Amino acid sequence: MITKYGIPFIALLALTFAGLSVARLTPKNQPLEPFSPPPSATFKNKIGAVGLVEASSENIAVSVPLPGMVSKVFVKAGDAVRRGQSLFSLDDRDLRAELNLRESNVALAQAKLARLQAAPRTEELPAAEARVREAEAQLSDVQVQLQMIEAVKDKRAIRNEELERRRRAVAIAEARLDEARANLRLLKAGTWKEDLDVARSEVAQARSQADRVRADLERLTVTSPIDGEILQCKVRPGEYAAAAPLQQPLVLLGSTKQLNIRADVDERDAGRVRAEATTVASVRGDASHRYTLKFVRFEPFVVPKKSLTGDSAERVDTRVLQVIYALDAGAPVRPGQQMDVLIEAR
Amino acid sequence: MNFVAWQMLTGDRAKYLGLIFAIAFSTFLMSHQTSIFCGLMNRTRSQILDVRDASIWVMDPKTQYLDEVKNLTDQDLYRVRGVSEVEWAVPLLKSNSRAKLPGDGKFRAVILMGLDDSTLVGAPPNMALGGVAAMGQPDSVIIDRAGYKFFFPDEPLQLGKQLEMNDHLVRIVGICNSSAPFVNLPVVYSRYSLAQLLVGQERNLMSFVVARPRAGITDAQAAKAISEKTQLRAFTANQFGWDTIWYYIRNTGIPINFGITVAIALVVGTVVAGQTFYLFVLENLKQFGALKAIGVSNWRITGMVLLQAFVVGSIGYCIGIAMTAAFFEFTKDNLDLRGFYMLPQIMGLVGITVVAIIFLASAVSIRRVAVLEPAVVFRG
Repeated sequence: MITKYGIPFIALLALTFAGLSVARLTPKNQPLEPFSPPPSATFKNKIGAVGLVEASSENIAVSVPLPGMVSKVFVKAGDAVRRGQSLFSLDDRDLRAELNLRESNVALAQAKLARLQAAPRTEELPAAEARVREAEAQLSDVQVQLQMIEAVKDKRAIRNEELERRRRAVAIAEARLDEARANLRLLKAGTWKEDLDVARSEVAQARSQADRVRADLERLTVTSPIDGEILQCKVRPGEYAAAAPLQQPLVLLGSTKQLNIRADVDERDAGRVRAEATTVASVRGDASHRYTLKFVRFEPFVVPKKSLTGDSAERVDTRVLQVIYALDAGAPVRPGQQMDVLIEAR
Repeated sequence: MNFVAWQMLTGDRAKYLGLIFAIAFSTFLMSHQTSIFCGLMNRTRSQILDVRDASIWVMDPKTQYLDEVKNLTDQDLYRVRGVSEVEWAVPLLKSNSRAKLPGDGKFRAVILMGLDDSTLVGAPPNMALGGVAAMGQPDSVIIDRAGYKFFFPDEPLQLGKQLEMNDHLVRIVGICNSSAPFVNLPVVYSRYSLAQLLVGQERNLMSFVVARPRAGITDAQAAKAISEKTQLRAFTANQFGWDTIWYYIRNTGIPINFGITVAIALVVGTVVAGQTFYLFVLENLKQFGALKAIGVSNWRITGMVLLQAFVVGSIGYCIGIAMTAAFFEFTKDNLDLRGFYMLPQIMGLVGITVVAIIFLASAVSIRRVAVLEPAVVFRG
C-alpha cells in the first residue's frame, strides 16, 4: 500500500516543495527607482554640463595693493556694500611715522623759502648804510688831503711821490665807496630770484613726498570696487595679507542681485552648443525642480577643466568651453553651488 | 495492462526503491553541481546585479570585466548625459579598499561602492538594518551583513559602530544584504564624495557611469548610442554581467573543474539510472515473455515499459530535485553560501535530462523485449 500509493504521493509532495523553494529562493532582481531622481531633460538631443553658480559681476577676489598685517575689518560675510565702502585696513604705523618725517621736511623747506623771501633783514641795512657813509667820509677825507697838497703853489715844496700816493688814496676810497654802495644795493635788492625758485621747488618736492605717503596710507584701507555683497570674508585682524593672487581670497564679493551659471562643456561637445538653445539646470539633490536659463555669453577662451577634487597634484586632460547663463531671480541657489546643466543640442 | 505494468514495478519493493533512489541521486548530483556552478559564476557579477536602479553601465573601452577598471574622467559623466537616448546618468565608484577595526587591528579588504551623493543610485536594494537615506550623514557607510559579521562576530546587528578606512573613521549607519561577491569580500557603500577619501590617492576616481535610457528606448539601443557618441564602452547590465562571467570562465580553472564534475554527474547519473532500469527490465523478461505468450502486442509491451520508465523517472526526479532544494533551503541563511540557489532553468533542464536518460535506457530494454521469443517463459 505504502509502496504503491505512498511513494508517488511523497514524490508529488517533494516536487511541490522543490517548486516552491526554487520560486522562493530565486532572486527577483526587479528594477528599482533611484532614491532621489537624477537630473534629466526632455530635449531630444542634449549636452550635459556641470555649472557653477556665480555672481553676475563674477566673483571678485579682493586683493591688497601692498602686503601687510590686517588691523581692522569693517565688514562681515553677507553684508551689502556700496562702491567705495571700506572693507578692511592694514597696519599703518610705519607709514604714519614716515608721514611725520615727510611733513617735517615740508616745514623745513617752507621755512627755508620764507627765510629767503624775507631778505633783506632790516637789521643789516643800517650797517651797510653806515659802511657807505664811512666810505664817503673816507673819500672826502682823502679828497681833502689831495686838495691840500694840490693847493700848494710851489711844486718843489712837495714830494712828487706824496702827491701820487694821495691821488691813489682818493681812487681807492672811491672804489671802496662804490663797493659799499653796491653792497647796500645788493642787500636792498633781497634774495636772488633763482635761489627762490630752487627753494620753492624744494617745498613742492617735500609736499609731493608727503602726499605720496598719504596716498600709501589711503591704499592701506581696501574699499569695495562695486555695489555688491560680501560672499566670503576670510580676513581677520592680526593676519598677514599678501599682495598676490591667493588660493583663499581675503574677501570675495560680487553683485548677487542677479546670479549667473558658468557651465563647463567638454571641448568635444563644444561645437554643438548654440546660443539660442533651451537650457535647464537643476540643483543637486533636487532634480524635480528645473530652472530655465537665459544665455548670456560664451567665454571666448577655452580653459583647462578645473577639477573640484582639490588635489594639488592634479593634471589636466580635458579643456572645457565655458558658457555663461543667467539664472532666474528667486531660484533657491547660492553663489558657489554646483548645478547640473542640460543644453538642448542640434 | 497498465495496471499489470504498475504491479510489475511495485511488486519488487527493493528494486523499485533502488531504481527510484538511483535516479533521485543522479538528479541531485546533476542539479546540485550545476546550481553551485551557476551560483559561483553568478557571484562574479553580484555588484552589477545589486545596482537595480540603473540598467546601463558605461566604462573605459578596454575594460574586460567588473573587477578590473580604469577610471573615467569626471567630464565623461557629462558626455554620457549629453547622449539623447539617455534619461539620466550618474557616477559610480567601485574600488577595493581596506577597512580596519579601530583599536582591534582586525582588517579586511573590502569592495567600496561610491554612490552619487544626491541620488544614491546603486544603493543596496535590501537593507537588513537602517535606511539608505542615512548615508547622507557625514562619514557614514553601509556595510553588508557578511562584513558586519566578520568585524563583530558575536554581536547582534547594531548601528553606530566605527571602522577605519584609509585613515578616516567612518560610522556604520546601515547594514544591508548584498549579493555575495566572488571572493566573498565585504561590501561597503558610501557616498561618492566620501568614497573618494576612503580610497587611496588616484587622479580619477569615477569607475563607472550608470545610466537609464529614456522611455521608449531599450537598454541596448541606448548603450549603443552612448558607445558611438562618447567613444566609451557602454553595456546593458545584463551584457556586462555576462562579460564578467565569461571573463572568469575564460581566465580561471573554475568552469573546467566544474564542467568535469557536472559531466561526471551526468555520466554517472545516466549510467546508474540507465543500467538499473535496464537490469530491472531484464529481470522481468520472463513476465514480458508470458505476456507475449498470451498474445500481447509488442506495441503494448513498449507502452508498458515506457510507463514504468516514466513512473520511476518522475518519482526519482521529484525526490532528487527536492533533495537539492532542501540543500539550498538549509544553507540559505549561511552568509558564506549566499548567492547559491537552484535556477528554475536547472530544475527544468535536469528534468529533461532525466527523461532522456530513462528513455534511452528504456529504448535499449525495449529492444530486448521486442526480440524476445515468448517460448523463453517455458524454458525455465
